[in-house]
Amino acid sequence: MMRVWMVVAVLAFACDPPDRGPRWRAAGNASPQPGGTLHLATKDTVKTLDPSIAYDEHSFLPVHAMFDTLVDYAPGSTELVPRLAERWEASSDGRTLRFWLRPGLVYADGTPIVAHDIITSLERALTTADSPFGPMLVELEGAQAVLDGKAAHLAGALAPSERELVLHLVRPNAAFLHVLAMPFTTPQRAEHVRAAGEDLRRRPLASGPYQLAAWDEGQALVLVRNPHHADPARGRIERIELREQLSRETQFLMFERGELDAVERPSHPDLLWVTSQPAWAPYVKTQPGLNVYGARMNVRVRPFDDRRVRQALNYGLDKDHTVKLLAGTAVPAHGMLPPGVAGRDDALAAYPYDPDKARALLAEAGYPRGLDLDFVTIADEEAEKLAAAMHGDFAAIGVRLHVSVVSFSTWVSVVGKPDGPPLSFASWIADAPDPASFYDLRFHSRAISGDSSTNDSFYANPALDGVLDAARGEPDPAARAALYRRAERILYDDAPWIWNYHQAMVDVIQPYVRDYAPHPVWGRDYTGAWLDLDAHGERVSW
Amino acid sequence: MVSPRVASPTKVGRAAAPTAVSRLIARRLGWAVVTAWFVVTATFALVTAVPADPAKALLGPHATPEAVERVRAHYCLDEGVAGRYGCWLAHVARGDLGESYASKRPVAELIAARAWPTVQLAVAAILLQLAIGVPLGLVAAARRGRWQARAVSIAEIVGLSAPSFVVGSLVAYVFAYRFGWLPIAGYGDGLHDRLRHLVLPAFALAAFGAMYYAGVLRTELSSELARDYVRTARAKGVGERGVLLRHALRPAAGALVALIGTDLGVMLGGAVVVETLFAWPGLGRELLQAILAVDLPVIAGGVMVAAIVVVTANLVADLALLWLDPRLRDR
Repeated sequence: MMRVWMVVAVLAFACDPPDRGPRWRAAGNASPQPGGTLHLATKDTVKTLDPSIAYDEHSFLPVHAMFDTLVDYAPGSTELVPRLAERWEASSDGRTLRFWLRPGLVYADGTPIVAHDIITSLERALTTADSPFGPMLVELEGAQAVLDGKAAHLAGALAPSERELVLHLVRPNAAFLHVLAMPFTTPQRAEHVRAAGEDLRRRPLASGPYQLAAWDEGQALVLVRNPHHADPARGRIERIELREQLSRETQFLMFERGELDAVERPSHPDLLWVTSQPAWAPYVKTQPGLNVYGARMNVRVRPFDDRRVRQALNYGLDKDHTVKLLAGTAVPAHGMLPPGVAGRDDALAAYPYDPDKARALLAEAGYPRGLDLDFVTIADEEAEKLAAAMHGDFAAIGVRLHVSVVSFSTWVSVVGKPDGPPLSFASWIADAPDPASFYDLRFHSRAISGDSSTNDSFYANPALDGVLDAARGEPDPAARAALYRRAERILYDDAPWIWNYHQAMVDVIQPYVRDYAPHPVWGRDYTGAWLDLDAHGERVSW
Repeated sequence: MVSPRVASPTKVGRAAAPTAVSRLIARRLGWAVVTAWFVVTATFALVTAVPADPAKALLGPHATPEAVERVRAHYCLDEGVAGRYGCWLAHVARGDLGESYASKRPVAELIAARAWPTVQLAVAAILLQLAIGVPLGLVAAARRGRWQARAVSIAEIVGLSAPSFVVGSLVAYVFAYRFGWLPIAGYGDGLHDRLRHLVLPAFALAAFGAMYYAGVLRTELSSELARDYVRTARAKGVGERGVLLRHALRPAAGALVALIGTDLGVMLGGAVVVETLFAWPGLGRELLQAILAVDLPVIAGGVMVAAIVVVTANLVADLALLWLDPRLRDR
């Protein structure tokens, strides 16, 4: 009997949760201290460190830390600031951009960074077959010719001196500066690219605050401070260790045990728990993301060719319920643009949840007894949960939703086909905090083509095309924002999407990680953070 | 003409056994190649039947039609199933397995990097299955009808019913998170650290097999214990422990050896769930990622290696059986 009780006692102890507040605190240094090692993890693998190829969020963390660009975003903001460039000027017709590089810039190996190295990068993006970035440069003169293999060099990019770069655009484009903040435009020395060859994906020549120290692919990547980097405000932490392929749940357990210093997007149960703990609450850092989630409809296919049906589905979805399902980390969406992006009309509210109005609109459109719809979504915990919510909401307006779950790969392959699923899950994560990055590829009629349309609603509206074209070339920010508000209104009324929500980025950090919050564009950007440790570089217990 | 070897009846037994063994090896290796080819071809057909386009999967929702076309042409994805298959075969003929669409890493290098962690996990799990399963099977057989045998039966039911992710999550929670005795996840550096990281995933992977082995061994031992030779041994005064360990265990172990062969083959193909749960950088997790991303060269390379490993592991198990039971050599 004694033995049984001992077993019960051990089991009870094992299952009894330990004290789960933070175990360590900030040491209390008044000013940022250099040094220390930051332990992070990622759910997936880092695929490549070649800036001309890297495009996924997991590769972006090391890539952004290693590669500086002409322009960048200010800490915690979407405002463009000079980075490698000391300054820049746009010509009066908006078609020429002239940049002056800072003096004394060098790579991690001590060799100088020159303006022509940026042209090398632009040309690499255009000539590397599997670079996703080439098409983003077609606004540059001569880029299309290089892309088509008709020219070897980019006619619209010139380096009159080692510190001067001139870019000629085919037409004025106010959004082009955002392209130059993307890591693929980082300077790349041609000799290094040639010497590294196929190995470039794991032999980066850093120009940013960090450089690669080690990479055991699929397991861990280690960055250390680039000693040649001149900006003292970036790269304060000495070493960043990024462990790969740890599930969110495992990451959170390791975080609580102090094996990780920060976690990104905990699973909903962990998130609900951590936000409910007063001891942890100050260390939950959120930031609206550049994204929108919902469902897209092929507006050329019945019944979605009738605007009343599309509007009815928007009225029939309870967005507040969605936000609750997402553990409060989202805001309802009324269109593509999340809060904080210029051109968003904050006075416009999301379609209210109004089942009566939805039913009336459906009846008006000829479906008084409701209708059956197929809905394709992706195999993802969140997306499946939302499909279930949508199924329930739509049942209340007489729409019987038949949900199919497919892999991301299948979904991304079929939605852009004219004969693909007419109604499916939709998401859009913009490349830049600029309205053009949300609209042009999604709703301009130019983006409808063949069987891989990025405008997968197949929505073509000359009025919208006109507004988007005018806005792209508009140099005055206020006038441009006004044009995008018009675009938003047109889309709101025509409802080619069922807009659901904008997801926030949520990170939980240890109390000694200072000056960190997810960046609106870069997400996990630790280049400005520091570790508040004691004089021996150790963590201080509570 | 009559061979002098065959003419001598005393030499038949000794000479025939290695011939049968080498014929078995040759036949099985031949089959390994055919099986690998068949499995890879079937995999190609299956992956192509899915409407997922590797180019779109690689580039994501932002990809313009031009970018998609470029990637399709670059990886000969625009030439239909036959074209893709031909491209892959051309790589194999050149002695490499192509490069991953997603990471551009050579597939042979990628599989080689993932194979060693998988081997360690599989071997550790098999050893654990034996270390736990064999003693439990022996206890259950020796103490038939007593509380020890009933306790083993209960443990078997629990072990066989609990999926590896449940066992894995539970041991990770208790021994890693709660008590902090072992790491929660990862691979570790150096022998000591690696072994510490290996314990929990190996246990999670072995829990089912250990209980299965215990059950199989109990059944086999029970039938062996009822045989005449056991009665003879007992009559000669051999103690129960001697009967069990020296007489009954060897013939009863044949079934376990066959199981080990199959298990080793399956585990060396990668243990997706356990590898994912414990962030163990093995083949299974890599293959799963490749399947989700329609990364054809990785899928084909991984499946080919897994098929060869399964066939080879079964061959090794058969050879071990021949060693254990000489009667089989003449069949």
